[in-house]
Amino acid sequence: MLRSLIVDLSKLRLCPVVVTQVREKGHLTRPRLRNPYWFVRKERLARDTTVTPENKTFLQEVIKDKYGPPALIKGIPSYDQSALIKTEQFERQPWHEKARRCGLIARKIGQYPLWLKNGERIRTTLLQVVDNHVIRYIPPQEYQPAQRPSVVNLNKYGCLLVGAESVDPSTLTKEYCGLFKDSGVMPKRNLGRFIISPEAAIPAGTPLNVAHFRVGDFVDVRGKTVDHGFQGVVKRHGFKGMPASHGVTKTHRRPGNIGGGGEKGRVWPGTKMPGHMGNRWRVAKGMRIWRINTKYNVMWVQGSAIPGPTNGLVYIYDTILPLRKHKTAPPFPTAFEEELEALTGGRDDVWYEDVHDFKNETITFQPDKN
Amino acid sequence: MNATRGVLSASWLKGNGFKRIVTFSTKAHAKEITASHQKHIPSAHTPTGTSDGRKSVIPQNYRFIYPEFLPDPKVEWRNPVREKLERMDMLDRRTKIDIPEFYVGSILAVTSSDPHAAGKVSRFVGICIHRDRCGLRTRFILRNIIDHQGVEVRYELYDPTIQKIEVLRLEKRLDDHLLYLRDALPEYSTVDLNMEPEFLDENAVVPINDIKVVLRPRPWLERWERQNLQGVVNVDQYITDKQRRQAIAHEKPWEKYDMMKQYRATIPEEEQKEIYAEVHSQLHNLEIQRKRNKRKRSFVKPTKLA
Amino acid sequence: MSKLLSLNVKIGSFKQLFAPMGIGSTCNSPVLMERRQQIHLTEKCNEIRKLARLRVVDNSEIGKRAMAEGKPPRCIHVYNKRSVGFIGDKVLVAIKGQMKKGILVGLKQNQKPKVPKFDSNNIVLIDDNGSPLGTRIHVPVPTILRTILKEKTQAKGADYTKVLAIANRFV
Repeated sequence: MLRSLIVDLSKLRLCPVVVTQVREKGHLTRPRLRNPYWFVRKERLARDTTVTPENKTFLQEVIKDKYGPPALIKGIPSYDQSALIKTEQFERQPWHEKARRCGLIARKIGQYPLWLKNGERIRTTLLQVVDNHVIRYIPPQEYQPAQRPSVVNLNKYGCLLVGAESVDPSTLTKEYCGLFKDSGVMPKRNLGRFIISPEAAIPAGTPLNVAHFRVGDFVDVRGKTVDHGFQGVVKRHGFKGMPASHGVTKTHRRPGNIGGGGEKGRVWPGTKMPGHMGNRWRVAKGMRIWRINTKYNVMWVQGSAIPGPTNGLVYIYDTILPLRKHKTAPPFPTAFEEELEALTGGRDDVWYEDVHDFKNETITFQPDKN
Repeated sequence: MNATRGVLSASWLKGNGFKRIVTFSTKAHAKEITASHQKHIPSAHTPTGTSDGRKSVIPQNYRFIYPEFLPDPKVEWRNPVREKLERMDMLDRRTKIDIPEFYVGSILAVTSSDPHAAGKVSRFVGICIHRDRCGLRTRFILRNIIDHQGVEVRYELYDPTIQKIEVLRLEKRLDDHLLYLRDALPEYSTVDLNMEPEFLDENAVVPINDIKVVLRPRPWLERWERQNLQGVVNVDQYITDKQRRQAIAHEKPWEKYDMMKQYRATIPEEEQKEIYAEVHSQLHNLEIQRKRNKRKRSFVKPTKLA
Repeated sequence: MSKLLSLNVKIGSFKQLFAPMGIGSTCNSPVLMERRQQIHLTEKCNEIRKLARLRVVDNSEIGKRAMAEGKPPRCIHVYNKRSVGFIGDKVLVAIKGQMKKGILVGLKQNQKPKVPKFDSNNIVLIDDNGSPLGTRIHVPVPTILRTILKEKTQAKGADYTKVLAIANRFV
């Protein structure tokens, strides 16, 4: 009892240094890292196959009554749930350079080229922001990340829980659906958390859209790379392999030597060897946004090497590269639906100034005046 | 749009065998397709009935005229929203530049603005020997022999620096690509730079030029003997018995029965219809506009005789 | 490569080679061909590296004679960091027992969109100041050279843009 009280106190961090001397069996076996509270089982294990068709339609009706009819919102199948969400009024604070904004959850939907006004072709990847809603904001005092931040950053950043892609709640567990209760948002298929500064907090239930970023901004895109499974060195590290003939036997795609002898007579750490390839989180940093479509919530991002497969999930952040950070105030804390008009100038498609709009006339090059 | 997968699975469930269309024809089917093409052209603008009884106004030959509107059939790369956005961009570009119907073997003239000589344009005339990729990436190669020097230029169809694409002679050849012209005698790829466009009747069938090309002696750039080329007359002349045997050994006659391969390489007919239904009205408007312009161009004001 | 090519032509006389190639003729009868060495014609071999055979396309005396004798020049050095010649690069060639410099004005290898690809690897011979030895180029020259050679001229002392002045057709 007393111990739990102390632990609770320490969680609140009322006093800066709490030394709890607990000498009991088992206190060391407790896991250091705890999963965040939203890590609960999502899918229900056994689907009710015994549900009659009448009951199924009844369930659909309940969902429709509660969350609105199924709709195609900005190109993705979703539910019209705007009537349900009531976001409270809150005080917006001005942007400053140190502020950390929330990000977005998107799907990589493919890539195709765009052309610049100087005739150059650029490769772009299309990211569609899929039905994002803020689920909860956890202020810095309450937020306990699995890994404790350094003393400098202690209690500096809060956490914003964002969900993407509404799903039929009957396929989900009760605990998982409970996470969405306070926000009034329909349960989401994907959850992501963004570490933000308290000024950038957004009330729960707010929809996030692609206008959160502006055209010309630089973003970091984080995704899980394509899983290639266990691969040899030729595919995994681009080794050359060995000749196909001329007496080579059974060593056509093998790495060859992996280390020297003598003092270095061992395999050095970091040696490139066969192993599992892909299925890792990777960040493509400093990618420019060339074009934004607010109708479909799509952004065109520089490069064709955004991690992850087509139709895979990616997370979009403001870039951390110091020279490419925001110079002027971005939509802060986010772009609300009512200001979309002002931000995009009422257009569906917003193009970066250097990019050639396909609606414009053919590019011609004018000779320099001087 | 999003229901495409649904439609697909539903038709699978029903188990009715539906016809698939080879978008980019493989050799075994080339003849059938051209045959069906010819058959369809006279009824191009007459409505043809569909399975559900509704009348469709989309011409059957759109998949040959506008093949790049069909996305890459690789399932992992497909996404309905991306494809729709891409089509919208393509149509936007098509309103600014007249991209005519052309095939491999047609003679084209491409005028593009030249960044290396500001204020000027560069015009290249040549025979289209290759056309590949889809969507905004569509590209084609023109080949010509200028001053006894073989020159090839690859263009992207939707490149916004291209100012004009003219079809000087609209025709087809016997093969899907004419890359073997690189190894053929020069007269087969020589085109006059000042060639006048040849007008074809609007409703006429696109003629198939069945000219057979004579290759130079080996070495060649590719092993043409293995490719079952229809438009080459003398492959046999230069290959050895061993090469002949190997060519036979490398034949894959079973591939025309490989339904799965065909399925993976094509967009199902239902989806093709959906795609062309989406772009049909705009393409049709552009076609009408083109015809109007053509008439304007061909009409010569009679000069008053003194 | 082109040495072998020329060898082929020598094998059967020119007439014999081209005689049976009438369009209508059926070519079922195997023509007696001498056994030839297999040559790699992959893209890599289209690169201009050391010992690559080139074609002189200007009307300089030495170039004309070398091409006429069937001894096209060999590249013996490429003046760039990669040692692989690209369009507009300067190369050192061995031609008729001499060393001359040349500029690559057309390549066989695949090019970017709108840049022409040629059927042969063409050079124009220049001297150390960048002025060409000939007075005319008798094949088309890619327009991208205007930009490339201008950039190179600014970087180095020699003026390569004189090569453009003797070209009679751009593609």
